[in-house]
Amino acid sequence: MLQRDLSRAGAEKRTARRRALRRMTQMLSILFTASALIGWSLPALARPTIEELKARAVLDDYEANIVFGYNIVMQTNKYAGRYAGSSLSCTSCHLRGGTQPEGFPLNVAGVYPKWRAKNGVRNGIGMRIRDCFLYSLNGIMPPEESPEVLAVAAYVSYLSEGEVIGRPPKGWGVPTLPDTGADPNPPRGQAIYQRECVVCHGAKGEGQGPIPAVWGLNSYNAGAGLNNVQKLAGFIWANMPMGNERSLTHQEALDVAAFINLQYRAFDPREGRLKKLAERIYHRLTTIFGQANP
Amino acid sequence: MSLLREMRPDFSWWRSADLRRETVAGWTGALLVIPQAITFAYLAGVAPEYGLYCAVFVALLSSVFGNSAMVGGPNTAVSILLGLTVLPFAGRGSPLFTELVLALSLMVGLIQILFWLLRGAELFRYFSPAAITGIKAGVGVLLITAALEGGLGLSPMTTNFFYEKFYIALASWQDLVNPYAVSISGITIAAGLLLKKRWPRTYILGAVLIGSLAGGGIYGLLGPVQSQLELLGHVTLHGLPLNLPRLGPQHLLFMEQVVPQAIAIAVLGLAQSLVIARDLKARAAKDLDLHKEVFAQGISNALGPFFSAFAGSGSFNRTSVALEMGARTPASGIVAALAVVVIAWVLGPLLAWLPMPVIAGVMALVGIGMIQVKEIRPLRNRVDGPAFLITLLAVIFLSLETGILVAVAVSVGFFVASASRVKLAVSHDGDKEHIVVSGNLFYASLDRLAMQLRNDPTTRTVLDIARVPYCDASALALIESVRRERQLCGGRLDVITA
Repeated sequence: MLQRDLSRAGAEKRTARRRALRRMTQMLSILFTASALIGWSLPALARPTIEELKARAVLDDYEANIVFGYNIVMQTNKYAGRYAGSSLSCTSCHLRGGTQPEGFPLNVAGVYPKWRAKNGVRNGIGMRIRDCFLYSLNGIMPPEESPEVLAVAAYVSYLSEGEVIGRPPKGWGVPTLPDTGADPNPPRGQAIYQRECVVCHGAKGEGQGPIPAVWGLNSYNAGAGLNNVQKLAGFIWANMPMGNERSLTHQEALDVAAFINLQYRAFDPREGRLKKLAERIYHRLTTIFGQANP
Repeated sequence: MSLLREMRPDFSWWRSADLRRETVAGWTGALLVIPQAITFAYLAGVAPEYGLYCAVFVALLSSVFGNSAMVGGPNTAVSILLGLTVLPFAGRGSPLFTELVLALSLMVGLIQILFWLLRGAELFRYFSPAAITGIKAGVGVLLITAALEGGLGLSPMTTNFFYEKFYIALASWQDLVNPYAVSISGITIAAGLLLKKRWPRTYILGAVLIGSLAGGGIYGLLGPVQSQLELLGHVTLHGLPLNLPRLGPQHLLFMEQVVPQAIAIAVLGLAQSLVIARDLKARAAKDLDLHKEVFAQGISNALGPFFSAFAGSGSFNRTSVALEMGARTPASGIVAALAVVVIAWVLGPLLAWLPMPVIAGVMALVGIGMIQVKEIRPLRNRVDGPAFLITLLAVIFLSLETGILVAVAVSVGFFVASASRVKLAVSHDGDKEHIVVSGNLFYASLDRLAMQLRNDPTTRTVLDIARVPYCDASALALIESVRRERQLCGGRLDVITA
């Protein structure tokens, strides 16, 4: 009697254990599928595209600011016309709205603040953006807390999602070309410019529509980062001619860069003084009287 | 019918207008409004263009629909309130912020039209002038603080009370203060105060000119990097900036939440406009229709957003300049609005180089102009003094919206207090008591009379209420009950009525 009871109890215990085990595996598999599903959909949740943001009925302030920042980057003269000074937009150099690796991508929020030799102080992302307005856009430096600067900063943060804080992103800036062993040669650069660039950028470097002016008073000024031949050569080699990138040799890119940066452009605002003021007045007069790029 | 008459633009002033004087007044007004429009746009937190549009379209519409020489357009207090109301909902100056400011302006205009339909002009008759002076002086103080913040670069900081910022500024002035910006602001303010003696109305123009020259000199010598001067930037004006106010779900949610503030702004705008209109009426002794002015304010603010303009109201300082230049009809306002277009278009390229410290200086000068000793001095009496002080302190220490509510409460309070004050002149003629009552006899003012009458039921009293304009049922009931009581106790009550 007792033995039978005992064996029955043992059997019951065993089935109970088996049942618990089965339930656990079930739970685990559900958990696993769920986490896999979530993991798969996370990138989709993580960053809506600008088009998705624009289609939404209600944006919170951060998202609205991102859209504003994107608009400024794509059409600087329309959305930040208050501080723009040339016909360039941010996207003229930060290609495809700052999403092109090795084309000055804008996913750099994790790199700032940092010290820069250019102005000799620690730069937050705001200061960095303001510098772009002053030099590369040849415009007016907006105040640190102006809505335009805050919007572009929000857009930079948006692009930087997923980047490692403190580490430069992949494809940061433009590639540094290796030493070609020869000096840049502007006359040869001019020939290459006539062959490769003139169709879009024009014989006087004036650009047209969204295609940026590469010299003259409507282009970046002499204080801009691209006024450095090495940097411009890297940019040209990696990104130009558009649609046929990296077709120039390193030496050809250097030659074109040297040619372009030998042409006249607006003064470096750090030289300041009354020179800059006179230039502005001259530029304004020439714009009014129809000779946009003399 | 009278509503239709008030709605229709009335150009009957056309024949009597002295067009030469009106034109001169209009052009002067246009020159004056441009620095103010830019400054007030800064206060409202939107781009300077919108202030200029306000100076054109709101001013034009309010002159076309109105019937007086009152000059409408951007207004200090309204601009400050617009900016503060939208601030919690969007980043200052962003496109969404601008859309919300325009949506709020539309609301303000519609509420003002509602006021017009409900004959709201009657209400503002009870608005105490002392409280309005208090609001004006309070706004003046707010403007001076805003100017100091702008000049010292403290604006992004929020503190509980305005004076705390000055502790911060004093404690670490070396890090915070840009010496060039401060000196340009200082030069502008000093120039304004000096020129004020010579040209008490148009001194701001001279101040802007001198400040800009100083700024241009510093900017030209040192350049943007070394001087770190903020400039106004390019002002892109459109001839006809048509704009359909966006009313998406976000905007509607916002509008639902700011109804109280919109009402406050509407009341404040109307209060200022009607004080001006009342002033004009007293000065020109003209038959001026206040309801029509209310409608003009409402319709100009409601239509303004369709021309990218934020809400405005009548302007004290510009109206008084116009009057002094000889304006008597809406013609000067219409000329001013059109002249702003011409001047802004010609000056547009130059405006880009206007240093922001000059704007801060203009703000301070407008603020100083709003605190007028001439207006405050007559208020030193028992009723106006407290009304003025309470409103002023509420505006400075609480907020502008609270200040308006306090002003309404104070006006109503003092009105009720003065209405319920009853004067009793008691004289004795032998054993006969003579009581002469002056003031309104109603439920709120009966206490003293009741005490006097119930004092001794055996006296014989003559109650003279011939000089009481209004006597309500409770007063009659009191007199009746006292008379019956006297009859029982051997006294007597005779009532003399007119």
